[in-house]
Amino acid sequence: MTKVLAIDTSTSRTSVAIIEADTILFSGFLAGATAHGPSLPALVQEALAVSGVDEVVVGMGPGPFTGLRVGIAFAQSFALARDIPVRGVCSLDAIAAQINEKDFIVTVDARRKEVYWARYTDGVRVGDPAVNFPTDIVGAPIHADLFPDMQSLVKLPGNITEPIYLRRPDAVATVDR
Amino acid sequence: MSEPIVLGIETSCDETAVGIVRGRTLLANVIASSVEEHARFGGVVPEIASRAHLEAMIPTLHQALKDSKLSLKDIDAVAVTGGPGLVGALLVGVGSAAGLALGLNKPIYAVNHLAAHVSVDSLTHSNSLEPTIALLVSGGHSSLLQVDDITGSITKLGETMDDAAGEAFDKIARVMKLGFPGGPAIDKLAKDGSASAIDFPRGLTTSNDWQTRPFDFSFSGLKTAVARYLEATPNYAKADVAASFQEAIVDVLLLKAIAACKQSGISSLVIAGGVAANSRLRAVAQERCEKAGIQLRVPSPGLCTDNGAMVAALGSLMVSAGRTPSPVAFDADSSLPVTTVSL
Repeated sequence: MTKVLAIDTSTSRTSVAIIEADTILFSGFLAGATAHGPSLPALVQEALAVSGVDEVVVGMGPGPFTGLRVGIAFAQSFALARDIPVRGVCSLDAIAAQINEKDFIVTVDARRKEVYWARYTDGVRVGDPAVNFPTDIVGAPIHADLFPDMQSLVKLPGNITEPIYLRRPDAVATVDR
Repeated sequence: MSEPIVLGIETSCDETAVGIVRGRTLLANVIASSVEEHARFGGVVPEIASRAHLEAMIPTLHQALKDSKLSLKDIDAVAVTGGPGLVGALLVGVGSAAGLALGLNKPIYAVNHLAAHVSVDSLTHSNSLEPTIALLVSGGHSSLLQVDDITGSITKLGETMDDAAGEAFDKIARVMKLGFPGGPAIDKLAKDGSASAIDFPRGLTTSNDWQTRPFDFSFSGLKTAVARYLEATPNYAKADVAASFQEAIVDVLLLKAIAACKQSGISSLVIAGGVAANSRLRAVAQERCEKAGIQLRVPSPGLCTDNGAMVAALGSLMVSAGRTPSPVAFDADSSLPVTTVSL
């Protein structure tokens, strides 16, 4: 069976796991919203001491940009170095997968008093993730500030190749000043 | 390992760069720049740069490997800029380098961007660099260094009190509507002007300054003087302003660099960083160093601006010197001092 290295840096945690079918060979996380840089290699080193890997699955967000990019950059380069496939999935979907309700909303911190969010019905995401003020998000029970379930992360289908940013860079062109 | 093959990654500002060296031989130097995306903002926008780094990283790695005719399996060590720089930008390179190093099971060297700029000379000259005085001038930094060992012992003699030299070029270019980045535009325009047309001030060169801070720079007074001149002179001659402004910067950089050589008794000068690509700085440096009996080393213009070859070069020197690699869990340091060569 394929041993999958799962990486997610879309939240204030750095999460790493190695999953083989329904077995968790390694699972670990380190807290720290600005510590993804040192945390990720430390966790992966620990994971690789337990098992080799044949594939990489990485959470593409949405999440605070700087930490998010550490996970994606690492995953892509690691896969290149090992000559194994890498696949991107929506991190919110890996959070939603652990909630057993008919209709609900998942939110994670987006800084600037906003949250990234998506709505799920019967376990399936309704529409694309978005970023809004929490007070503007209504219509279903909200699950805030949970972390991705890594076993669910590797089971998500598809391949998202771009980070889910949802915001443009802040910058004003000199001609518009 | 007499001739280590080192892959270097640089993402501290707006260039996504990968270089590969074997010992002191350059095998590949690939640069993907997002400079055009920043031009309309008049400066580098950190988030735009960081996004561009992530997009360009894998293609840039592929191109560098292709140019070097090597595969990743041939790499003995990975080097990466650990700082100083824009933290979001640095972390894309650091994440990538860590992924490569763990993927390949090879050591990683997180090195200082400024030291790397100086070390790139090792790809051009086969004789040892040290000891040398180094004038490091770029858009983000202007400092005078004494380098006793590029892999571990660098002393800061002085630095700018305000703007970096390259920053002054950018700002004056913006006032004169010459576009971004300003250095190449002013360099080009200055060729048609007179360097002695306008006597712009040389910062920190009074006799008192030579006593108290002989090797520090200041360019804010010069910037103000140029801005006032432009306001007061409606039909100013653009080329003369460019040439005279450039001359003021070149003059003061070299006055202090040569004074540092004389005071330390070190008759070697390396000029590095993006501003070292300036043609007037190169020409006047050649002239004055010859006269002063100082051996001058300036990298080729393509190796002066940010690149991955310089990071690989410093990594290679670290391997050869037997320096300990960086720990697996190191953090990028946006304000890493030049005296800290590696993390």
